[in-house]
Amino acid sequence: MRATLALVLALLSGLALAQGQPAAPPAPQGPPAPAATPQGAPAARTAPAPAAPAPAAPGAPAAQPAAGATPAAAQVAAEKADQKLFDEALQDYFGDKKESAARKLFAYVEGTPPTDENHPWAQYFLARCFIDLGLRHAGAVYLSKVARERANPQVLPRTLEALRTLILVPHDEVLIDEQVFGSLDLGFLPESVSDYANYEQGIVDLRVGNERWANTHFAKLDEESVEASRAKFALLVTRLRKLQGKEVPDEMIEDFLTLSKDDKLTLEARNEARLAVARLRYERKDFEGALKAYEMVQLPSLDPGRATLYLEEAWTRYNLGQLRAAMGLLTTLDAPSFRDQFLPDKYILRALVYRDLCHYLPAKRAAKELTRRYAESLDAIREREDLTLDDRLRRAASSHGSTKRAAKFLESLSLEIEFKARYAGGFGDRLFSQVSKLYDLAYAEGERVYRQRIKESVREEADKLLRAAEQVRLMEYEVGLKLYERIKRGAKLVQPEKETPIGPGQEAFRFDGEYWNDELRSYRVSLPSRCVEEGQL
Amino acid sequence: MRRLLLLLVCLVSVAARAQEELENPGVVLAVQDRTYRMNSELDIAFTVLPLDAFTKGIGGQISYTYHFSDSIAWQIGRFDYNYNVATGLRTQLQRDFGVNPTAFAQTNWIAGSDFMWTPIYGKFAWLNSSVAHFEIYGLLGLSVANQRISNDIAAGTTSTTFAPGLDFGIGWRFYISKTVSLRLEVTDNVLFSSRGVQNIMVLLLGVSFNFGSTE
Repeated sequence: MRATLALVLALLSGLALAQGQPAAPPAPQGPPAPAATPQGAPAARTAPAPAAPAPAAPGAPAAQPAAGATPAAAQVAAEKADQKLFDEALQDYFGDKKESAARKLFAYVEGTPPTDENHPWAQYFLARCFIDLGLRHAGAVYLSKVARERANPQVLPRTLEALRTLILVPHDEVLIDEQVFGSLDLGFLPESVSDYANYEQGIVDLRVGNERWANTHFAKLDEESVEASRAKFALLVTRLRKLQGKEVPDEMIEDFLTLSKDDKLTLEARNEARLAVARLRYERKDFEGALKAYEMVQLPSLDPGRATLYLEEAWTRYNLGQLRAAMGLLTTLDAPSFRDQFLPDKYILRALVYRDLCHYLPAKRAAKELTRRYAESLDAIREREDLTLDDRLRRAASSHGSTKRAAKFLESLSLEIEFKARYAGGFGDRLFSQVSKLYDLAYAEGERVYRQRIKESVREEADKLLRAAEQVRLMEYEVGLKLYERIKRGAKLVQPEKETPIGPGQEAFRFDGEYWNDELRSYRVSLPSRCVEEGQL
Repeated sequence: MRRLLLLLVCLVSVAARAQEELENPGVVLAVQDRTYRMNSELDIAFTVLPLDAFTKGIGGQISYTYHFSDSIAWQIGRFDYNYNVATGLRTQLQRDFGVNPTAFAQTNWIAGSDFMWTPIYGKFAWLNSSVAHFEIYGLLGLSVANQRISNDIAAGTTSTTFAPGLDFGIGWRFYISKTVSLRLEVTDNVLFSSRGVQNIMVLLLGVSFNFGSTE
C-alpha cells in the first residue's frame, strides 16, 4: 500500500514539475489509498460495489467478484480491482498512453461513487487526458465537475489552475466563468486562485449591473495583483458605459492613462487602455491628445495590428488636417490582413481626403466603391432578408465582442469534434459515446448562443452600413456639384504644401502594392492639391 | 505612315498614364526610421587571396571604419596579414623541375585606407516570419603591399619590397543586431612595382562591431 501511495505521490510531483510549478508538499497532496487509514477510505467505501465496475477496462480483471464469494469479500475484491484500475490508469497517463488512461479513468469514475476519495482525482486526470488529446471542452466539463462537487479539497487548486489556463482559449463561458469561477465559495479557495475568482465574480456582478457587489469582490483583491489592474479597467469601462453621451470627467481619462502604463496588465490590455484614452480625447475634440494616445499603442514585432486602430487614427489625422498621413493609414487598411474587415468608413474618409484636395473624380470613385463592394449586403437590407445569411455582415458581426467569442467557441468545438473521431478505437464504446454526447450537447448549445448573439450584432453592422451608404450619396452629390463648377478667370492652383523631407536616419521604400507588416504604420502619401484659388480680375 | 503609327502609340501611352494619374493620384512611400546605423566600426575578418597560381594567401584582417553618415564612411585603416600556402602547381614545379622555392613572389601583408560609399540599404523577409536588413557598399582607396620577391633565382636570395597601389571593391553587410554585423567583401588591389602592375584580389568574410550608435 505504501508503494502505491509513494507511486501516486511521485507521479503527482512529476506532474507539478511538468506544469512548471513547484512540487506539491508530499503528504496531503496525493490521493490516499483506500485502506490507508481505518477512518478515511473505508468510510468512503461503504457504498456497495460499483454498478458498472468497468468491465471494458482490460486492467480490471477482478472487478467482478468470484462466484460463491461472500458479499463482504466481493466488496473488498471490487475495491482492490478499482484501486488497481486507478493505479494502472495513472501509470498509463504518465507513460504517455493518454487514450488508454482516459478509458480506464472513465471506467473508474463510472464505477465509483463521488464520495470515493480517488473519484475526484480520477475526474481530474481524465480531464487532463482529454486536454492533452486536444479535447479541451471535454476536459473543461470534467474539471468543472471537480470544481463544483468539491469532494476532495486537495484536487481543487490544481483543477482551478487547469481551468484558468483553459479560459485563455475559446471556452464555454457559462460552464467555466459563470458556473465555476462566478459561483465559487471564496472562503475555501487557495490564495493562488482566490484573486482570480474574486475578479471573475466581480465581473459577473458588473455584467448584471451591480457595481456595489462587484466592488466588494474587487476590494478583496491584492493591490499588486494582475487581477486588481484588470478589475480597475473593467470598472472604468462600466462607468464609461453608464455615462451614455455625457461629458467624460478628466479623472476617467487619467485613470485609463495610468492603466495604460501598468506593467501588470498584458500588452493587449494596456493597448485597450490607450485606445480608450484616444477615443475619449477624440470625443472631446482633443485631436492632438488623441493622436498621442494612438501613437502610444505598441504592437509586437511584425504584428499587423487592428484595423479599427488605423481607421480611428486616420480620422484623427484627418481632423488635424494631416490629409496625406490619413491617406497613408487608409493605404494600410487595404493590406491583405484587413481585406475582410468591415470598414465602411474607410471609403467615406478616402473620398473626403480626395475631395479636400480637389481630386473630385477619385473622390467620387472612392465613395462609390462602398456601394459597389457592399451591394449585396445593401440589397439584402433593403429586401429585408435574413441578414445572418449575408456573408459580409455575418463576418463583420462575428469579428468582435461576445459574438466573436461565441463564434470562436463554436469553431473550436467543430475542430474538437473532428479530433474526437480519431479516438473511437482507443476510447472504447462507453467513453466514446459519452464524449460524443457531451460534444453534441455543447455544440447545440453553442450554436444556439451564437445565433442569438449574431442576430443582434448583425443588425448593428447593418445600421452602420446604411449610415455609410447615406453619407456616400451625400458625398456623390457634393462632388458632382464641384466637378461641374466653373473655374473663374485668373484662378490658379493653390501653392503646394511643403512635404516633410525624408530625414537623416530615415529610409523610404516606394510602395508598389506589396505590403510588409513592419511598414504598416509608416506609409506616407505624396498627393498634390488640385484646388484653385479665386482669381483676381 | 510608320511615323504616324509611332506617334499614335506614344500618344496612347501618354494618355493612359495621364488617366491613371487622374484616377489614382499620389505616390505612396513607406518611410521608416532606419533600424541599423553604423558609427565606429571595428572589423575582424578572415581573408583569402585566391588569384596567384603558385601561392594562396590565407590571412586575417583588422580594420577600423568611421561612418560620417548612413552612406559615407572612411575605412581609416586596415591591415591584412597573410599566411601563404603553396599550390599543387608550385609543388610540382619544385619537385619535378627543380625550381627554387624562393623564385615565387608572395604577399606578406597588405595595408590601406578606403573611402566607403553605401548607396543601398534594404531588407528581406526570412521565411515570412522575420525581417532582416542588409546594405551594399563600394570601396575605393589606397593600398600598400609587402611582398617577398626573389633577387636571384639561382642563388635563392630574396628580399621584401613595398608595392603601393589603388584598391576598389564591393561589399555586402548583413546586420545581426545593432552592434554586430557580418561583412562579405571582394576587393582588388592594383599594385604598381618595378615588376609591373599586379592585381591582388582579396576575398573577405568578417564580423563587425559597431560602437556608439548615432541613434
